Amino acid sequence: MRIGVFVCHCGSNIEGTVDTAAVAKATLEFPEVVYATDTMYACSEPGQDGIIQAIKEKNLTGVVVASCTPRMHEPTFRKAVERAGLNRFMFEMANIREHVSWIGKNREANTNKSLDLVRIAVEKLRRDAPLIPSKFSVNKRVMIIGGGVAGIQAALDCADGGLQVVLVERESTIGGKMAKLDKTFPTVDCSSCILGPKMVDVAQHPNITLHAYSEVDSIGGYVGNFQVKVKKKATYVDWELCTGCGACIEKCPSKKNPDAFNEKIGPCTSINIPFPQAIPKKAYIDATTCRQFVKGKCGVCAKVCPTGAIRYDMTDEIVTEDVGAIVAATGYDLFDIKKIPEYGSGTYPDVITGLQYERLLSASGPTGGHIKRPSDGKEPKNIVFIQCVGSRDKSLDRPYCSGFCCMYTAKQTILTKDHIPDSQSYVFYMDIRSPGKMYDEFTRRAMEEYGARYIRGRVAMVYPKGDKLMVRGADTLAGTQVEIEADLVVLAAGAEAAKGAPQLAEKLRISYDKYGFFMESHPKLKPVETNTAGVYLAGSCQGPKDIPQSVGQGSAAAAKVLALFSKDMLESDPQISRVDIKRCVGCGKCIMTCPFKAIKEVEFRGQKKAEVIETVCQGCGICTSTCPQGAIQLSHFTDNQILAEVNALCQS
Amino acid sequence: MSRLEELKTRIKEALPGLECVIGWQKGYDALHNTPLFMRSAEDVDKLEWGALNVHNPAVYLPTMAGKKVGVVVKGCDSRSVVELLQENLINRDNIVIFAAGCDGVVDLTKVKAKLAAAGTGAGVVTAVSADGKTVSVTAGGKTVAMPMAEVAADKCLRCQYPNAVLADTFVGTPAPQPTPVPSANADLDALDAMSVPDRMAFWRYHMDRCIRCYACRNACPMCVCRDHCIAQSREPHWLSQDDSVTEKLMFQVVHAMHLAGRCTECGECQRACPMDIPVLALKKHLNRTIHDLFDYQAGVDAAAIPPLLQFKTEEVNIKERSW
Repeated sequence: MRIGVFVCHCGSNIEGTVDTAAVAKATLEFPEVVYATDTMYACSEPGQDGIIQAIKEKNLTGVVVASCTPRMHEPTFRKAVERAGLNRFMFEMANIREHVSWIGKNREANTNKSLDLVRIAVEKLRRDAPLIPSKFSVNKRVMIIGGGVAGIQAALDCADGGLQVVLVERESTIGGKMAKLDKTFPTVDCSSCILGPKMVDVAQHPNITLHAYSEVDSIGGYVGNFQVKVKKKATYVDWELCTGCGACIEKCPSKKNPDAFNEKIGPCTSINIPFPQAIPKKAYIDATTCRQFVKGKCGVCAKVCPTGAIRYDMTDEIVTEDVGAIVAATGYDLFDIKKIPEYGSGTYPDVITGLQYERLLSASGPTGGHIKRPSDGKEPKNIVFIQCVGSRDKSLDRPYCSGFCCMYTAKQTILTKDHIPDSQSYVFYMDIRSPGKMYDEFTRRAMEEYGARYIRGRVAMVYPKGDKLMVRGADTLAGTQVEIEADLVVLAAGAEAAKGAPQLAEKLRISYDKYGFFMESHPKLKPVETNTAGVYLAGSCQGPKDIPQSVGQGSAAAAKVLALFSKDMLESDPQISRVDIKRCVGCGKCIMTCPFKAIKEVEFRGQKKAEVIETVCQGCGICTSTCPQGAIQLSHFTDNQILAEVNALCQS
Repeated sequence: MSRLEELKTRIKEALPGLECVIGWQKGYDALHNTPLFMRSAEDVDKLEWGALNVHNPAVYLPTMAGKKVGVVVKGCDSRSVVELLQENLINRDNIVIFAAGCDGVVDLTKVKAKLAAAGTGAGVVTAVSADGKTVSVTAGGKTVAMPMAEVAADKCLRCQYPNAVLADTFVGTPAPQPTPVPSANADLDALDAMSVPDRMAFWRYHMDRCIRCYACRNACPMCVCRDHCIAQSREPHWLSQDDSVTEKLMFQVVHAMHLAGRCTECGECQRACPMDIPVLALKKHLNRTIHDLFDYQAGVDAAAIPPLLQFKTEEVNIKERSW
């Protein structure tokens, strides 16, 4: 092998603390290295041309680039060596930026460590073999998980692009959090008026199949060919027959159940359609409260249903959907305000969340759009809003900003004034975060035109006084303590990862952060991709987002899916496990440990052997560390390569 | 009828349907029993049962895959059979298990030490008798009586399963559960008490004596790679043939790692070692870790999936995720 080594300055990123010229010179001593040089920016066009030129002039058969993380530029350099006529896997990268120059200041030590990393890369490259990807066909159907505004947008864009779309929604209706909002900032237009038509489009679009009241059970397969098992939860109503007439809801005798759609500040019946614009507009029975299930007798809904749609014996059903790509758009949930007992949530009924307040403002809410406080139904006059409840708070392990609370609080003060002209809103805030088109103007309007009194400081406690609530806090601008007599306290509860998000991430085989938000492939350059091919993200499942951002991401994810599906065949990654059938004793330990079910048992000349299913294997390597006799090897990461790397490191 | 006579009767009954039945017979002298492969009624008459049946006959089962065979087992041997079943290395339909209660077997190294102490070290043993409490060995015309507790194999001192955990034919009355002996884990206790440098020195000393005969591997019923053992492989090339402590220790560590959660602690590796290197301690140490992490013991339940042979997103006892 004739190896060329290219040591990148990365401007001053690496050269600042690593003597790249010295590293390049020293690598010439390594076995089979015939050419070495330092280069200003290996990834730039002249940098890549330099590599290509050297391959041709020096007849190189393998290349090592010592620069940044392979996550950044490995594809770049692989394409470069391929352009020069080499197999793209005859290339290794040594990360001397993130692993060396950025983490240490000692130039001599950094130079030595860089040399060690290049030595390791050279030893691995010496044992590399050319790998050829194979091609496989793509199933051009896409699954969107989550029917909030981000998922709806992704579904509509994909469907308009000609794709078959399967939309899976956990609740009995799509719409998500946006459907619960009264108005939206900064235009104060009606949320259901702008969302409703999109929901109807979903229902009517010939390319969209909607599974409402359903959850993803398991996911198998790989990009282009996923098999998703969807659990359709029992609704106890035959949706083929249900017309959404609501006769059952009128007659249902179990009327005092907490209404999840109304954030539990209003009652609902056991058989219910969450709101008038629900899509699908079908009733479902909550078996935990329904008298037929709890007491074993009732059957009123079955008697009154004009189409005979009630099915008390319905069970959960699993349907399998084959799709080529998946968009996760599972949204967020709210921080549990009971975790801050000093604010009195759970103790005082008139301490509510911002989303509960939205329901009080909404004409389809439990109060018909009249602001009445939960305790006694009185119209509140003094309303205190507390921001950053479960946001920007390290002590609650919620150090991040939820992003949209400043804006919706401002909106709610404006709406409060519209509903109750003689009311006064107070807002306790830490900072006003309103970057966005027309956003800061909007918060100013809340203060200047609508007279909301903004108090910069945290609230220490909320305690009752008669039928009022006393809110005691600091005014850090005035340097005083303040106490406000409130009729209603609205907490701007922060956003959290949706319940069950980590579990779904495990099924999707995507990463998630410590809070449960899904990890994008690159925080700046790949915001809707994940590290699992064919799985994309949209909306707040990736981190708190407001409506425009969520919609933008829904469209972005749809664009990614459409681009993926623009090809009929995809290339598989050849860095997968392969079985040496001479060594395989057919014990099947690899089959038992494979998390992807990518290994099957085959019979070869009367003997049991393991065989890797090329397109399913993800190259994780668990099988290779399980196989006692080393009969299964991960291409490009063979035992011999790893041993050679360890030897190179230990003997340097 | 004694356990032995009943075993013989039952094996003779079953033999027509079997390729062979594996057991033990008298060896080259009265002290050394050897494995016996019974194919006829005359073979069955050679069967032995008792304290000299030191070998684990389960080691032969994977090599006979596809044939219907019988095997006579002690309690510890039966765990190896179960572990082989758990790993699909043998087929339950092809195995007929004969068992009887075991009162423990001797450690030949300890017996030879006793003989040496009595001044009759060398020479052929002409007679051995055992009554459960005492083993009497006649060699060089002299009979030496040894308390069983002093010459029993270490594994018998900590035996939890004197009766087979899985058997098709169990003869006689089950053996009583032995009371645990405090010194049963003396090997691990001694290693635990050492400082890290001392422990390394201990293993360096012993590995220096290793002659790389691989008897430990060949006697191990769970070592099924056989011709493809990484010890002799060039592809992948985990070990070189270099005669160094590093290479020898590397092999022992690899062997122990491959047995983590699979080893039933039958002790054959250590018994087979001609240099008396305490290699079982490595496996016992890893098994202790597996037991603590996964609350699991190998070769007890044929239906159980060994913890390292499955993939779970979240282990019961290892909380990586908080759900």
